[in-house]
Amino acid sequence: MTDIMLKAENLCRTYGDHAALVDLNLEVPRGSVYCLLGANGAGKSTTISLFLNFIAPTSGRALVGGVDVTRDPLGTKRHLAYIPEQVMLYPHLTGLENLKFFAALAGFDAYSMEELSAFLTRSGLEPDAHHRRVGGYSKGMRQKVGIAVALAKQADALLLDEPTSGLDPEASNTFSQSLRELRAEGVAILMATHDLFRAKEVGDRIGIMRKGRLRAELDPSTLQITDLEQLYLNQMQD
Amino acid sequence: MTLAIIRKEILELTRDGRFRWGGFIVLVLLSLSLLGGWFHRHQVEEAHTAAQAMSWSQWIEQGDKNPHSAAHFGVHVFRPTSALSFVDQGVDGYVGSTTLLEAHYQNPFSFRAVQDAPGLARFADLTAATTLQLLIPLLILLMTYQAVSGERERGTLRQLLSLGVSPVRLGAGKALGVSVGLLLLLVPAAMVGALALFMAGPGDGAVGNEVLRFALLALAYLGYFMVFVLLALAVSALAPSSRVALGILLGLWALNGLVAPRVASDIARMAIPLPSGLAFQAAVSHDLANGFDDHPPQAARQAILRDSVLAAYGVALPEELPFNFAGLRFQSGEEFANLVFDRHFGSLKDQMAAQGHLHQLLGFVAPHLAIRSLSMALAGTDPWHHARYADAAEEQRRLMQQILNEDIMVNSRAGETYLASADLWSRIPPLEYAGPPVTWALESQQRAILVLLFWLALAGLMMRRGLQTLGRRI
Repeated sequence: MTDIMLKAENLCRTYGDHAALVDLNLEVPRGSVYCLLGANGAGKSTTISLFLNFIAPTSGRALVGGVDVTRDPLGTKRHLAYIPEQVMLYPHLTGLENLKFFAALAGFDAYSMEELSAFLTRSGLEPDAHHRRVGGYSKGMRQKVGIAVALAKQADALLLDEPTSGLDPEASNTFSQSLRELRAEGVAILMATHDLFRAKEVGDRIGIMRKGRLRAELDPSTLQITDLEQLYLNQMQD
Repeated sequence: MTLAIIRKEILELTRDGRFRWGGFIVLVLLSLSLLGGWFHRHQVEEAHTAAQAMSWSQWIEQGDKNPHSAAHFGVHVFRPTSALSFVDQGVDGYVGSTTLLEAHYQNPFSFRAVQDAPGLARFADLTAATTLQLLIPLLILLMTYQAVSGERERGTLRQLLSLGVSPVRLGAGKALGVSVGLLLLLVPAAMVGALALFMAGPGDGAVGNEVLRFALLALAYLGYFMVFVLLALAVSALAPSSRVALGILLGLWALNGLVAPRVASDIARMAIPLPSGLAFQAAVSHDLANGFDDHPPQAARQAILRDSVLAAYGVALPEELPFNFAGLRFQSGEEFANLVFDRHFGSLKDQMAAQGHLHQLLGFVAPHLAIRSLSMALAGTDPWHHARYADAAEEQRRLMQQILNEDIMVNSRAGETYLASADLWSRIPPLEYAGPPVTWALESQQRAILVLLFWLALAGLMMRRGLQTLGRRI
């Protein structure tokens, strides 16, 4: 399997006259984090939906592990884990039961309760919350279950759609920590976000999107956060 | 993986207060209606057995009289109630329960329970069949309408599909999950039913193969419920929202269970009109008096009989015959009347069968009509079973008349007073009715079975179709 886990090739998606995504080309290798920055409607979520094959591309291809997602929609999803802005869980089930269910549906139904509990702990969920129904979970706790699903699924690539918006700084920091661990294990991460600070902190590459186009690609290690902010604002203005 | 989906659906259902309460209420209703049905049948059977015994002892103890007077005195017979009527009373309340076996005339069955009931009983009668045919489908719809649309609205569907689960597999798991949840209610209810069947004591003759019939009833209802599970999942997947799904499903439920039976009755009445009771009796009386086809009128028939018998024996007067001519005349009259009854009751039976078949075929529009027909057939309470008992009673009446008329012929002399005694009355064998086997019951239900299989296939295909579009509608 190729080292480039996620790849967009001239990816386009239009709705009638409206171009949601135009000629997107990007690559996310194993063990790296790619942050897509942009305002609402810039095409970030469209990109993620295209990788999940939730929508069909108008032209171009989205590749997961070198395989076109429209060719093998179920197979390519096995490599992916997806964490949306709000991780939605079954309120009547406990955190552990939710994880067990999602892991089983991903094909991993042999985990013991201890192993599943360990995934939750690794994601930063307090042990006494494992057996509580998620109806009472905060957003941050649900995001942690989402990370645990990605761990249990042994995903090669992670698709994140504004996962930290609305999280308090501490929860957001824990989340970034989890992403760094996953990156260290060789997971390719594509994260759509509004959060420049978070992008600068965890990103290996940053793409700035506007009106469906990728305007600029940056290496955050060469930039200060103020430079990044200035670059971003410049792209938004023309 | 499918197992995980089933387990999760059950876990969610059992932790959902709506299912717990709804299911509990339905289970209580079903158990009560099964036991109530058993109790009702028990009472009716006791009353019938007592009345039957009384009528028979009145027959034996009617004293010495002319056999033809005894033929007019007659014996009442009471239709035995099926041991399975606690599941489905079918048309029991609408067809009469007793008839008088007497000379010259095939009486229709009288004493319909519905005649004594207030008009509202039509709506308020809580029978197991109502619960099974109406309430459980409603419970299924309420359990299932959110199965897909709810996941879509909550956003969990996106996450499920992002895992790489095939939508069809997801749906199959959900269908099985709802089914297992349903079985949590139905298995205890079936055990109550088995207890009621055991208490009813099979083998009293109203129907044969009670245990097999009970098992097939359970199977038929499971099939009927699966139609609702699959349809509700299909609608839940295809509808734009849970509210719309619920609206559509409740509408379909009302059309199927409330509107269709009434409309179907009207259609059947219009397509295959039955004669009114009065017109039917008038037509029978007309044929009895005036003959039909090449059968001459009554007076001419009697003259022909007299002349041919006198000629055969070479005598001039009936009094010179070696037997009492009156007995032969009575029997000949009976045999002609039997032709008339066969003709009129036969065509009435054909018309009712045609109506029954039409009801079953209308099941292609509303499956309730098919399960209703199949259910009462298996329970032994449908019009076919009643007609079969009516035939047996008529056979008995004819046998009775024949024995009495032959006695008049052989043992009495013209012009003399002849009185027979209990010796003759007890030579009439009591009516021993052997209920039909289940195979007989199913012969008239081929259309209903076909309709139910059609709905199962249609609902399955619709669910598949609804789920296949799911990957792009999240």
